[in-house]
Amino acid sequence: MNEDNVNRDNVPGCCNTGLESESEPELKFKFESEFEPKIVGFLCNWCSYAGADKAGGSQKSYPPNVNVIKVMCSGRVDPQFVLKAYAAGADGVLILACHPGDCHYKEGNYRALQRHRMLLRMLNQLGIGSERCRFDYVSAGEGDRFVKILTEMVDTIRTLGPINRPGLNNIDEYSSEKRSENGYSIIGS
Amino acid sequence: MKIGVYFCNCGTNISDKVDSGQVGQKIEGIENVSYFKTLELMCSEEGKEFLHNDLIGEKPDRVVFAACSPREHENTFMRILSGADMNPYLMQMVNIREQVAWVTEDKDKATAKAANFIKGAIKRVSFHKPLEKKSIEMSPDVLIIGAGPAGLKAALTIAETGRKVTLVEKRPVVGGQPVLYEDVFPNLECAPCMLEPMLNEILHGEHAENIEILTMSEVIDLSGFYGNFIAKIRKSPRFVDKEQCIGCGECIGVCPVAVKNEFNNGLDDRKAISLSFAGGLPNVPFIDMKACLRAKVAAPSAEVAATPAENEDCRLCDQSCPLGEGIIKFDDEEEVIEKHMGAIIVAVGASLYDAGLIPGLGYGKIPDVYTAFEFERLLSSSGPTGGELKTRSGSTPESIAIIHCVGSLDSNHKEYCSGICCQYAFKFNLMIEHKLHDARVHHLYKELVYPGKEEYLLYKRAKENPNASFTRYSSIDTIGINSEDGRVRVKNTESGKEALIADMVVLCPAMVPTKGSGKLGELLDTTNDMFGFFEELHGRLDSARSKVRGIYLAGTCQSPMNIQQAITQGMAAAGYVLAGLVEGKKLDVEPITAAVDEDRCAGCRICMTVCPYKAIGFDMEKQKASVNEVLCLGCGTCVAACPAGAMSSNHFTNDAIYAEIEGVLA
Repeated sequence: MNEDNVNRDNVPGCCNTGLESESEPELKFKFESEFEPKIVGFLCNWCSYAGADKAGGSQKSYPPNVNVIKVMCSGRVDPQFVLKAYAAGADGVLILACHPGDCHYKEGNYRALQRHRMLLRMLNQLGIGSERCRFDYVSAGEGDRFVKILTEMVDTIRTLGPINRPGLNNIDEYSSEKRSENGYSIIGS
Repeated sequence: MKIGVYFCNCGTNISDKVDSGQVGQKIEGIENVSYFKTLELMCSEEGKEFLHNDLIGEKPDRVVFAACSPREHENTFMRILSGADMNPYLMQMVNIREQVAWVTEDKDKATAKAANFIKGAIKRVSFHKPLEKKSIEMSPDVLIIGAGPAGLKAALTIAETGRKVTLVEKRPVVGGQPVLYEDVFPNLECAPCMLEPMLNEILHGEHAENIEILTMSEVIDLSGFYGNFIAKIRKSPRFVDKEQCIGCGECIGVCPVAVKNEFNNGLDDRKAISLSFAGGLPNVPFIDMKACLRAKVAAPSAEVAATPAENEDCRLCDQSCPLGEGIIKFDDEEEVIEKHMGAIIVAVGASLYDAGLIPGLGYGKIPDVYTAFEFERLLSSSGPTGGELKTRSGSTPESIAIIHCVGSLDSNHKEYCSGICCQYAFKFNLMIEHKLHDARVHHLYKELVYPGKEEYLLYKRAKENPNASFTRYSSIDTIGINSEDGRVRVKNTESGKEALIADMVVLCPAMVPTKGSGKLGELLDTTNDMFGFFEELHGRLDSARSKVRGIYLAGTCQSPMNIQQAITQGMAAAGYVLAGLVEGKKLDVEPITAAVDEDRCAGCRICMTVCPYKAIGFDMEKQKASVNEVLCLGCGTCVAACPAGAMSSNHFTNDAIYAEIEGVLA
């Protein structure tokens, strides 16, 4: 990862702890009662997406806060997708993969794990906080596990509250269409 | 751009929780959305017919189907698009049944979530590009490396369908390891009798013309990929005309040179011109030019001392040939041939763990300590003693110790059970009993295994041998073998018991990959498992496939196994070939692959290191990566890894995924 590519001036939240609300319990309570977390879940096609379908097939209710985006492999999850999700308004991101050794593409889940580890360090530096990005494994048969992980994630984000994001959307300058126009990336992998 | 959205109520499965009217309102006004239509049951015959006609009437540029899981009906709707003259990749399915309606209690929340999902799909689908399945020509021919039971069975199965097979075998004979055995477990069937019909079928049967057997040959190079491999094969000279020789053996008797016979594990000598062993097929001798008197002059090397002049034109074998001149070809030369084929089956077999690595066992130092392979030859009627059990000094053994689990189940050696050693050890027990009625047979083992429907009976019979004893040891390091007064002393240092006195000791070492299999794996670009065996694609689902598309595995090169399993795996590998590589059919190439933007590629090759399929090559001239669309399976790991953004993933482009992220959060 080449951190020099990150223009810190244009990445709001960078010098912001993002945790100010925790020192004000009343405010936090207010957040908890009204706040509906928005979470993006990147699910691999073969295991975790099938696990989510399994939960559906057995009609297990869970909080509706996770918006699922299917990718063929968790290894396809570019760390920039995760940043993009925060920029576009997500309060949390879930990356779900096949269990170690079960990856349909042999080792994509290991790559995803490596990138997630790297991303967590960066999320702390950005003031977003590593708790807002969870990587986990769900197999095609683990509907219950999918529901458990998802529910825990919603609870975690509900407790953390929304991301302190004054002007965070500026990060858009570094991704999406702008990225291809500018021809550079904010993170290498 | 005109986007059409179809919403399926799925009976009441979706409409119970998600209100299509409200969803319609929520997405109203989104750019490019031209219409929103609700159907009762989209996958029903009426539903499909409606969609077909509606797509033809509306002519949308992109379509979104909000319905069940794409895992259920994505292909159905892709076919409907194709039927309506649209590219099937120009649609996106939204899973509002399994992932919304069935899992959300509150109706309003379910409706809102469904709307988010649909917004994501609408945003995404505008980035979809029409993709075409490509097809390429492929060769239906097959290369099989290794002519043991697994390779032979595969060759025969494929040849029976009229397909061409090239069978490459390193040795001068076919049949693999079991043709060297007298009997095989579990029912002590005569091994040559068991294999001979298959060997004859291969050599002279109805489909023999479809099988080209290249003995004394090795694959030395491979290029290409599934459907279009090109292999270079080195044929070592045999110096005897394989087609004309009748195998009478006259030439062998007259040869003046004797060398150690590797087919009998060096337990006796053979001539410089020799058959591998009696009954070895093809029944044609070969000349070992390293040993032949002529070669010593013809090809002088540092190792070969100057030879007396009278030997330089030794033609005794040639002169003895009843067919006359020309059968023995002293001028036969090494040849490298090229073969084009669509698939490869690797069946190179295994060998035994080097018992010399466990010094306490005395292997290689004490003459009457043998490996199981050597003992098989001593039992064989085509072996060095003609099947008579004798010690090196020529006496009949009174007591034989069989050490199981040599180098197996041991973290210092091989941490697995080969699964076959107990069976052949019990077989040895019975064969010893048959040959020498009174000889004692001592089994020393760490574990005994006899899985399967016939295997236990063999163990039971071995147990019933009144002269047999079974003793368990905990570690091979506790076994000390020494020679004493011409006999062998086997002492278990853990036990207080007296040492066993034996005349012969048979070691049953772990099965390990053959020496050359690492090198072969390198040139085939296959992977090895932690033990060095050829690694299968999946241990249970796909053990006959390697991780390289179009290269299949059969027999003990993949894992220790018995003959039955090897033959079955040979059939499995043949099945993969016949099912996937159909004559006259082209190879479909899925369009969801990675692609390189050469202008952006800096040639760093990170993509190559993360690709699990070796699907990314490197153009040395341009210094750019290139994707092989046949090998790429579209996982997208390289796309996420490319630091320059030069890799993209068809159908899962960054643009499409960014748009979907924006859409679901809007």
